[in-house]
Amino acid sequence: MICIIALIVFSILGIFSATHRQLAKEAFDCVFRRITFRKCESGLDIRLKSRITGRLMKRSPILASKIHRHFELISWAFIILFIVSFIYVAIGGYNYYLYGNCNGPNEDGFCIFDPLGEKSKFSETQSCSAEPPNPESLTLFNVDLSLFPSYDKNAENDVVFIGCYGCPYTRKAYPAIKKLLDRKDVNFVFAHFPAKESTYFISNILNCINEADKDKFIEFNELIFTSDTISLKNEDEIFEVVEKIGLDKKEIKHCSYLERTHEITKLQMSELQKTGIYGTPTVFINGEAVVGPKPYRVYKRLLK
Amino acid sequence: MFNLVVEMNTQKIRKDFPVLEKGIIYMDSACVSLKPQQVVKAMNCYYNEFPACAGRSMHKLGEKVTEEVSKARKIIAKFFNAKPNEIVFTKNTTESINLVANSLGLKKGDKVITTDKEHNSNLLPWQNLAKRGIIHEIIKSNEDNTFNMDKFKEKIKGAKLVSMVHTSNLDGVTIPAEEIIKIAHEHGALVLLDAAQSVPHKEINVKKLDVDFLACSGHKMLGPSGTGILYGKYHLLEKLEPFLIGGDTVIDTTYTTAEFEKPPEKFEAGLQNYAGIIGLAEAARYLMKIGRKNISKHETELNKKITNELLKIDGIKIIGPEDPELRSGIISFNYKDADPHEIALLLDSSADIMVRSGAHCVHSWFNAHNLKGSARVSLYIYNTEEECDKLIEEINKIVEL
Ligand SMILES: Cc1ncc(COP(=O)(O)O)c(C=O)c1O
Repeated sequence: MICIIALIVFSILGIFSATHRQLAKEAFDCVFRRITFRKCESGLDIRLKSRITGRLMKRSPILASKIHRHFELISWAFIILFIVSFIYVAIGGYNYYLYGNCNGPNEDGFCIFDPLGEKSKFSETQSCSAEPPNPESLTLFNVDLSLFPSYDKNAENDVVFIGCYGCPYTRKAYPAIKKLLDRKDVNFVFAHFPAKESTYFISNILNCINEADKDKFIEFNELIFTSDTISLKNEDEIFEVVEKIGLDKKEIKHCSYLERTHEITKLQMSELQKTGIYGTPTVFINGEAVVGPKPYRVYKRLLK
Repeated sequence: MFNLVVEMNTQKIRKDFPVLEKGIIYMDSACVSLKPQQVVKAMNCYYNEFPACAGRSMHKLGEKVTEEVSKARKIIAKFFNAKPNEIVFTKNTTESINLVANSLGLKKGDKVITTDKEHNSNLLPWQNLAKRGIIHEIIKSNEDNTFNMDKFKEKIKGAKLVSMVHTSNLDGVTIPAEEIIKIAHEHGALVLLDAAQSVPHKEINVKKLDVDFLACSGHKMLGPSGTGILYGKYHLLEKLEPFLIGGDTVIDTTYTTAEFEKPPEKFEAGLQNYAGIIGLAEAARYLMKIGRKNISKHETELNKKITNELLKIDGIKIIGPEDPELRSGIISFNYKDADPHEIALLLDSSADIMVRSGAHCVHSWFNAHNLKGSARVSLYIYNTEEECDKLIEEINKIVEL
C-alpha cells in the first residue's frame, strides 16, 4: 500500500525532477500490479519499507521494529488520512472557487489557496461593537435603497455595493465590481460607508454629485477608486475630481456643506446599519451578501 | 600473532581505498571490488601522459603505449605463471568465455560439461550452442553444494570441453580444479575455468593447474571495470578461430582475404582499453605485493567469524557447506522467508553495510531449488574484524524487527 502514497508523493516531486518521475513510474506499475493482485515487480514497496525502517534503526530500534511489523497497517492509515485530507482540499477548492474562501461563504478562516486571506479581509465598520461579525444577519430587508446613487437598467439582477473610498479592501474589490456595473443585466446601487471617519465628508459630496447628475457617481467612483495619488482626506483634491467629471466644483462644495445634505448622509448611514454590515466591501447580489474583495467569478456566480 | 600482522596490513591497505573514508562497509566485492588509488593513478597516467594508440602509430606517444601495454601483459602473465602471449585482454569474464565458446569450433554432438551453479556467463553460451547441436551436460552438486566428483567421472567420457566455475559466486565453494583437469585431460577433454571469483582471492598457477583456458574479470580483482582476461595455452590459442575480427587482429588484407596476427593480438579486435589494461596490471601487481595466500587466509578468518555468529541465529540458513574454510570470502544466506533484498536494503540504510541480494546471476540454481535468492556477503582485503562485528550486530537487529 505504500506504493499508493509513493505514487502520489513521487508524482508531485516528479513535476520537478526526473529521478522522481522514474520512481513515480515504478510506483504506478506497483499500484497497478497490486490492484490486479500481483506482486510489485520493481520491489519498490520493499525498497521503501527497508529504507524507512533502516534509517529508523539508527535512531530507535524499538520504533523501527514497530513500524516494520505494522508497516502495511501504517500505510493504510496514511492512505485513509490522505483520502480524507484530499476530500477536505477538494471541498476547500470548491468553496474557494464559489466563494473566494476555502471555508465557505463569508468565512475568514485560513485558506491554503489564499494563504494571506486577502480575499476574505474587510475593513471593520463596527469598531465598538462587542458582537462578533455575523454573515447570517446581513440583509437588505427594509433598507431604503432609493437614498443611494444608482444605475437602474431595468435589468434582472440587483447589485448593491457598500464600500468605503478610503478602505484598502473596497479598493481591491473595485475592478471586479466595475465589471458587474458594466454588465447590461445588472441594476447597480452604490452606498458609501465611510469606515474611515476622515472620509465621511465624501459621502456628502457624493450625494451632491448624485443630485446634480444621476449618472456622474460612476465616473466619480472610477477616479476615486483607481487613483493612488488623490489624498482622500484633502477636500480640495476631492473637488478637483468633481471638476474633472464635468461638474461645477463650487456648486457641489456649497451643496456638500448644506444641512439638508448632511441629513441625507445621516439617513443613509442609519439605513446601512439595518443591513447588519460589519465590514466593507459588502456586496449584495440579488439579496445575497458577499463580504471582502472576491474574484469576479464569485460575484458572477450569484447573478441570474 | 599472525592475525595481528594481517590486521595491521589491512589497516594500511584501507588507506589505499579513499572511498572507505566515507564510513561505508563494503561487502560486495564479488560483484565489483573497490579500486586502490594506485590503479586509478596508473590509468590517469595513460590519459594524462600518453593517451595514444598502441601497436599502430610510430610516434613517441604511440611507442610509449605499446611499451606499457606490453609490460602490462608481462605482469599479468607473471600473475598467472603464464607466457605473455597466452594472455588475451578482453572486456570481462563473459567475453572471455564467449570467445572460447564461439572459437573452439564445437560441432553437433560435441559434449560440454558444466556444474549446476554456473553464472549466466558460463551457462548461456552453452545453451546457445546446444540449440545448434552440442550436448550440454550439467553435473549436479552434492547436497551441501560441493562438487560431486563421482558424477563428474561418470559424465566425462566423450566430453570435448569441461567449462566450470572455479569458485562459485553463489556460495564461495571452490571446485577441486586440479583433479578435475587431470581427469578431463585423461579423457581428452579441454578445460575452461570461469575464475572470476578465484583469481582475485587465491594464487592461481596455470602451469601447475595445467588448465587449458581460464577467464576472469579485472573489476573483481581491484582493477578497472571493462577489463578482463582470457588465458589460453598458446598452442590452443593458435588453433582458435578469432571471434571478433577487424582492426588490430590482422597483419594484412586484400579485398577478399585477410592474414591474421598471431595470438594474443588476433583476438584483440579494435582499439583496446589501454588505460584499463595498464590499470589492471597495476591491480595484479598490488595483489602480488600483498600475497594472495595472505588474502585467502584473511578472508577465511573473517568468514569463520561471520559464519560462527550467523549460525547462532535461529532461522539463518547459509547456502553451501557450513564450514567457512570451504566458502572462501562468501557468505550467502537467507533468514526464514524474509526477502533477501529487504535484508540488503536494511543493512545499507541502517549501517551503510553494502551486500548483494537476489539471484547473483545464478538464477538457474535458485529456480531449481525453489528459492527467490539470497543475501550475499563477499569479503576482500579491505574488510576488517570490526566490520564483521558490525555486520553481525546489524543482522541481529534485523532479525529482531
Ligand atoms: C563466477 C562468475 N562468473 C562470471 C561472472 C561474470 O563476470 P563479468 O560480468 O565481469 O563478465 C561473474 C560475475 O559476477 C562471476 O561471479
